[in-house]
Amino acid sequence: MSEKTPEKIKYSILRFLDVTGFTVFDPLVRLAFREEPRKQVESLVKFLIIPIIFIAACTGLWWVVAPNHKTKSGEVPTPDIVISSALINDTFSNREKTKESDFLLQGEDRLESLKEVEHLMAERATELEFLEAHLAEQESIYKTRTESLISPIEAQLNALKEKNRAARTGRSSEIDTLSLQVASGERPYEALVRAIREDGELYAMGRGEESVFKDQIEAIRSDKYKPLEDARLAVNAVADEIQFLKKRQGFLSESNRSVKLEQTKEKLVAQDGKLSNAEDAKAVLREAKAFVKLEDGIGRLETQQYASAMTVYLQIKRSIFTVFVGFLMAAAIAIPIGILCGLNKIAMACLTPIISIFKPVSPVVWLLIFQIIVGAFFPDPESHPFFLFFDSIPFINTLGINPSLIFSACTVAMCAVWPALVNTALGVASIDKDHLNVARVLRLNFWDRLTKIIIPSSLPLVFTGLRISLGVEWMVLIAAEALSSSDGLGKFVWDEYQNGSSFSFANIIYACFVVGLIGFLLDRMMIVLQRFVSFDGSETAV
Amino acid sequence: MSYLEIRNASVGFGPESNRANVLKGINLSVEKNEFVAIIGFSGSGKSTLMSLLAGLETPDSGSVYLNGKEVTQPSPERGIMFQNYSLLPWLTVYENIELAVRKVFTGYSKAQVKDHVLKYIEMVNLLPAVEKKPHELSGGMRQRVSLARTLSMKPDVLLLDEPLSALDALTRSNIQDEIIRIWEEDKRTVVMITNDVDEALLMADRIIPLTMGPDATLDTPFEVPLERPRDRATLNANMRYRQLRTDIASFLIEMNEESKRLRSKTVLKMPDVTPRDFTIATSTALREFDEEDAFQLEEEEKAG
Ligand SMILES: Nc1ncnc2c1ncn2[C@@H]1O[C@H](COP(=O)(O)OP(=O)(O)OP(=O)(O)O)[C@@H](O)[C@H]1O
Ligand SMILES: [Mg+2]
Repeated sequence: MSEKTPEKIKYSILRFLDVTGFTVFDPLVRLAFREEPRKQVESLVKFLIIPIIFIAACTGLWWVVAPNHKTKSGEVPTPDIVISSALINDTFSNREKTKESDFLLQGEDRLESLKEVEHLMAERATELEFLEAHLAEQESIYKTRTESLISPIEAQLNALKEKNRAARTGRSSEIDTLSLQVASGERPYEALVRAIREDGELYAMGRGEESVFKDQIEAIRSDKYKPLEDARLAVNAVADEIQFLKKRQGFLSESNRSVKLEQTKEKLVAQDGKLSNAEDAKAVLREAKAFVKLEDGIGRLETQQYASAMTVYLQIKRSIFTVFVGFLMAAAIAIPIGILCGLNKIAMACLTPIISIFKPVSPVVWLLIFQIIVGAFFPDPESHPFFLFFDSIPFINTLGINPSLIFSACTVAMCAVWPALVNTALGVASIDKDHLNVARVLRLNFWDRLTKIIIPSSLPLVFTGLRISLGVEWMVLIAAEALSSSDGLGKFVWDEYQNGSSFSFANIIYACFVVGLIGFLLDRMMIVLQRFVSFDGSETAV
Repeated sequence: MSYLEIRNASVGFGPESNRANVLKGINLSVEKNEFVAIIGFSGSGKSTLMSLLAGLETPDSGSVYLNGKEVTQPSPERGIMFQNYSLLPWLTVYENIELAVRKVFTGYSKAQVKDHVLKYIEMVNLLPAVEKKPHELSGGMRQRVSLARTLSMKPDVLLLDEPLSALDALTRSNIQDEIIRIWEEDKRTVVMITNDVDEALLMADRIIPLTMGPDATLDTPFEVPLERPRDRATLNANMRYRQLRTDIASFLIEMNEESKRLRSKTVLKMPDVTPRDFTIATSTALREFDEEDAFQLEEEEKAG
């Protein structure tokens, strides 16, 4: 028995790897269970270590090549900068979460947190002072260093300038006399023309000589001084944190929900007094109106949620949600119509022109069309019952369902419908005649034939289609979000491109990896599903 | 009128302009509770004949009757076992049979269905493979599942298309016995295609040869007046059995040769020459060559 259990564990792990398509790690598992170690090591080297080395080499190449290309948004970021931008995004999102919980804190907890935050703020303030001093020091060091480097060059430059200027004045007086001589007919005009040309050439030459020095100075100025950069970054980081702590302080005190609620309740009590003491009808009416307003305010405050800024994680969540909505829409349209087309040649003939015409249409066109159509459905989205309904569902309400999500989903669905539809139709149409004969002998009715024979037999192809669809959707979605500024990863990329801060470029590359990784995971998910519906035990193409 | 009848039926495939007639002028009468075996060469149209009986194929001319009624479409009362098994690959062994049982015995409760299905799975010795999918089974196992599915429907007419061709001798004889038992007990009518003359003689009341295609048709049947139960062990000693066996075998050989002759006539008329026997001469030459070779090798070895 004790010998059997490890075997079982091993095979269940291997099975898992097989189903999820990570067979690359097979030898690792087998090695861990001491199965033919030589063979495992060999295939490990071949299919895991060599690829890892290759990837490492690519990353190395990136690291070397990237800084050599200067762009208007700075250098192309190296991997370490991309990683730090990922970390910055992570910090930002964590801070948003902290602020949210601060906003909702109440009673003793709130006061305790407030104390802690204030303590931290004091600590950071001293730290900032120290760091700023350090920064000033570094700045002066840098200044003196660059000055000492620049001043000899500048002296040379000034001398050169002086020389050039003198030469030029000499030449222009020469030209003046020449022109007088030409006017009086003493000399031919060719000499004057030559002199003018010569002057121009010499001037340009002089400028060229000057610009060599200027470039040198410029290079020294733009040369980054590492300690200074570091000092600046450290100051910025602490200043940032202090800013954050200040916000927290706000959310723990006057902007806190329970505090605001408390205040409004106090006001209400006061208002109650005012109302009961009011003398004439006019005053009563006025006070009563104010009373109602306050009561409403309390009602709103009680359910108020923290309005979180869009962090990258929220964008990811929203994009994935949109893709799933689009996917469900596409599947709901494609599968029934695909089955119909596969079953009925006339239906196929009717739909073929539509499929052929609309399949190649660019997602951008669909996006614009749906933007217009969806916009018309929801003239006032804030109070539309459809969106109010979504806002009342937990988890989904944090995603901010709005018309732009709907039309993004529609666009995505429109582009994804075709592969699913065509594959479903193909799956249904190519059903084995033998299987249909079984249905005929058993005299299955239409419904049974559909559910027991046709759909199961076409499922593998249906899922192949759905897998392609999901891949298309993910690609289209990012573009659609970028184009329509609908919240999501696409918008994240677009915003970064627009705002051009020092980390923008790194953020875009970070988003590129995030998009790729999620696309990969979505595809893997579909592979697993495909495995479950495939009945002939065949492998699924990765 | 007999129980199951084919009257002057012809079946062809392909478009009108280029139609290949597979069966032509088929006449067949099978009595109730009769066991008929059909033998014929590969590609002659046996499976097509089965499809015709099952109602999966409609004849170009002529007609098929069961119990006096014309057969126009397939039905579970004529249970056909397909030559290529036609198991549904997405269903397990159990589910494949269950689908048929549920459809035929609509009044059965869940437990009854289960008992029924398992009974037939046990009959073909596949209980260990109940939860397996067809692609996990061997060819012979699949054939047995297909047989179990057909038998489980308890059809009035069993149409078995080479039901035992993929099985080993022992399994085969066991299942032959099962089929005979079912046929006798439940008073069924069986039409079975087989390539095995012994099997046909062991099981059938009548053996009908199908001539070579195209335009295949049923030839004069061989009656098998052997007593039942027939015992494999003693059957070989039975004079009648041996006689029938020789008759059928020679019939088949003759049919084969005739068809060859028919074919060669259409191709070319060969000159009438008898080949000289070179075998003796060649073999001597070969021997000589060998000896020479060996000699040469020896010489080389010495030199090396
Ligand atoms: N659907 C079809 N379309 C065209 N031709 C067919 C079709 N089905 C069978 N045929 C032809 O009919 C002929 C007889 O086929 P059939 O399957 O009945 O042979 P068979 O006697 O069962 O052979 P085997 O013993 O190999 O199973 C063959 O020549 C085949 O090419
Ligand atoms: Mg056949």
